Amino acid sequence: MYGLMSRTRVIVAVVVATGIATLAGYGTAAASTSTGSATAKTSACGTKPGVKATGSPIRLGTIVTNQSGTSFTDISNMADAYFTCVNDNGGINGHPIHYYIETEQSNPAQIAADARQLVQTDHVVGVVGNTSIIECSVDSSYWKSHGYYVIASGIAPECYGTPNYADVNMGPRYSSDGAVQYAIAKGIKKIVFDQSNVPGTGYIAAGPNALAAKAHVSIVQLTEDVPIADADSVAIKEVDDAGPDGAVILNFTPPDALVILQAAQSLGIVDHVKMWGCSTPCNTDFLSQSLGKAWNSKLFVNAELTPPDSTSTATMKLYKAIYQQYGTTGPNKVSGGIGAFSEMGFTEAEIAVHALEGIKGAYTVKSVNAAFKGVKNFETGMMCQKWTYGSYPTHIANNEDYTVTPDNGKMVTAQGCTKISAVDPQIASYRKHAGTASLDPTSS
Amino acid sequence: MPSWQEFQPFIVTGLALGGVYALSGVGLVVLYQATGVVYLAFGAVGATGALLAWSLISVHVASWLAWIVCLAFSGALTLAYGMVFGPLLARRTPLVKATATLGLLLILYGAMDLLWTTSGGEVRSLTLPSDSHSFSIAGIQITYTQLIGLAIGVVITIATAAFLRFTKLGTAMRAMANDRDITATLGVPVRRVEAAAWLGCGVLAGVAGLLLADMVALDATTLTFLVISSLAAALIARLRSITLTFLAALLVGLVQNLMVPIPSLTNYNDMAPFVLAALALLALSRRRVIALSREEV
Repeated sequence: MYGLMSRTRVIVAVVVATGIATLAGYGTAAASTSTGSATAKTSACGTKPGVKATGSPIRLGTIVTNQSGTSFTDISNMADAYFTCVNDNGGINGHPIHYYIETEQSNPAQIAADARQLVQTDHVVGVVGNTSIIECSVDSSYWKSHGYYVIASGIAPECYGTPNYADVNMGPRYSSDGAVQYAIAKGIKKIVFDQSNVPGTGYIAAGPNALAAKAHVSIVQLTEDVPIADADSVAIKEVDDAGPDGAVILNFTPPDALVILQAAQSLGIVDHVKMWGCSTPCNTDFLSQSLGKAWNSKLFVNAELTPPDSTSTATMKLYKAIYQQYGTTGPNKVSGGIGAFSEMGFTEAEIAVHALEGIKGAYTVKSVNAAFKGVKNFETGMMCQKWTYGSYPTHIANNEDYTVTPDNGKMVTAQGCTKISAVDPQIASYRKHAGTASLDPTSS
Repeated sequence: MPSWQEFQPFIVTGLALGGVYALSGVGLVVLYQATGVVYLAFGAVGATGALLAWSLISVHVASWLAWIVCLAFSGALTLAYGMVFGPLLARRTPLVKATATLGLLLILYGAMDLLWTTSGGEVRSLTLPSDSHSFSIAGIQITYTQLIGLAIGVVITIATAAFLRFTKLGTAMRAMANDRDITATLGVPVRRVEAAAWLGCGVLAGVAGLLLADMVALDATTLTFLVISSLAAALIARLRSITLTFLAALLVGLVQNLMVPIPSLTNYNDMAPFVLAALALLALSRRRVIALSREEV
């Protein structure tokens, strides 16, 4: 009898768990339907449409943060989708790409071990798609000493201030610069810049501080412990500090930004300031859908990459087609759908493939990383400017942005390509080293 | 120091937040009274129920049905935990019992992270019909949801107090709080009484999960660990008095919010619940009022 009851309990537990998993899957799928029209064929990703690559694999690797509340796996998963597409369409001169994805939980020892795993065990010849809260800080010396030039999406200062990383995104500092710059251009008198209370807030705040000082606009710096449990008081404080002629600029991940914005809305204080702004993480249709129409043209979000909802270039169509065919199922599913994160993964893979296709001879650490480093004025089709790696002490390869605003569940362009101001000393320093390469306009 | 006018909105939001803490705090105390378990998984159970409701609404299930599923799931899961682990841990110390519920919390937390991933900038929100109605106090809008949250806290406090005082089942629960073995000897069906307490606590976790998902955030981490602030209120009330728990929760919410407009304190407001709980515990232990465990009473 007891055994029967135990078995019944197990069966009930399994049924309940399966039910929850199924519903969760449906919920995610239902929330991820914003893909736009993807009419391009994925075969455009390779040189031999429909021919599977069967040669010896080219091993590439990546390290991404995947922990509770913070996951960047959509970036590596979208890169993986791109590489799979390439493998299905001729590969790199007949060689398939084998992509090793290591995930980490902000543990420096683990991150250091991941890098060694990729190099010593997996024997990767290139590193593409790294996106981590602290990976650049931990591994930058290792990559330098082993001759790897990483193509990444950066967060930590070392992702931009060292010679062995070049990013497709701006990261929190320069993205915040872009949001502050937009607000200043709109004539606001005061800025409240609020961000998560995590390591590196001082580094990020330095950019907005410099821009505000140059424009003679007063700025209040705030930090919040995340996840935010009392958004009402946060929103009231921001609005009180900014005043009617001021702007509130947020630098949070989407869930935390959302609760602040929703709190402001429910408290009826959205219009108590002149405008609201946000750095790139807010650039997601999920946020726009959750906020609803009330925020149309009231919130202005910095966008580091081309807005997918209002762009229909060949590259954008290819990105959406690859996402649909390779990114919607399987263990490496791009769960966040079309958005900034998957755009970054696409762009990083695209640059890597472009570099690999130019290699004559064997694919070694030396040849692959020389090819990565040699990428110059590459038209990614996903950003305002052409992308250059180059031999620079710092890399801010993407330093020109868009501004988008919610529009009935989508994010639409509010301002086209605009250079991030060189008032930020880091931007000025990069442009000094990179010369005009960093400012070459795109052809699209 | 900010002016009185600047403090006013924070008083309003502080009371609303206190009401939120009270919801969970009362549930924690009732369960502790009946079973001797500090149910640390309270927030995680409510969070899972709320996310389940969100998933159902996402596939166009009627909202009212999704809310019922949330309450049923939270109640059933808590009841199942209580029925499986309650008897096994009945004679262990309160610390062991609490730690076991921490295990449930971690399992649910991991499951939520797996099933409702936050990658790709994915955000979720759960709105209730009462969000669209509001009124103004001190220059800010108060939604009916916030009012309902506070009202439910009051109603549950009064109803639970009356239930414990005037009903047979409530009397049995109070008797068990004093001594489970003697109560069993007197013929009280302790398993049934405990089951009622577990079920009630679970349903309350579901109610709190739905309201908090709307009022705070539909986020696994936030909802799971919000219980810690409620626990502070319950500790201030010595895990005994639900009326004191309710008042302590309001106090915690108020103090936490009133620290925000004060520049020198604003970055420390999150620690207010724990400072208040620590001060209360110190004061009470000096008077030898609080007992470390029910066995020591």
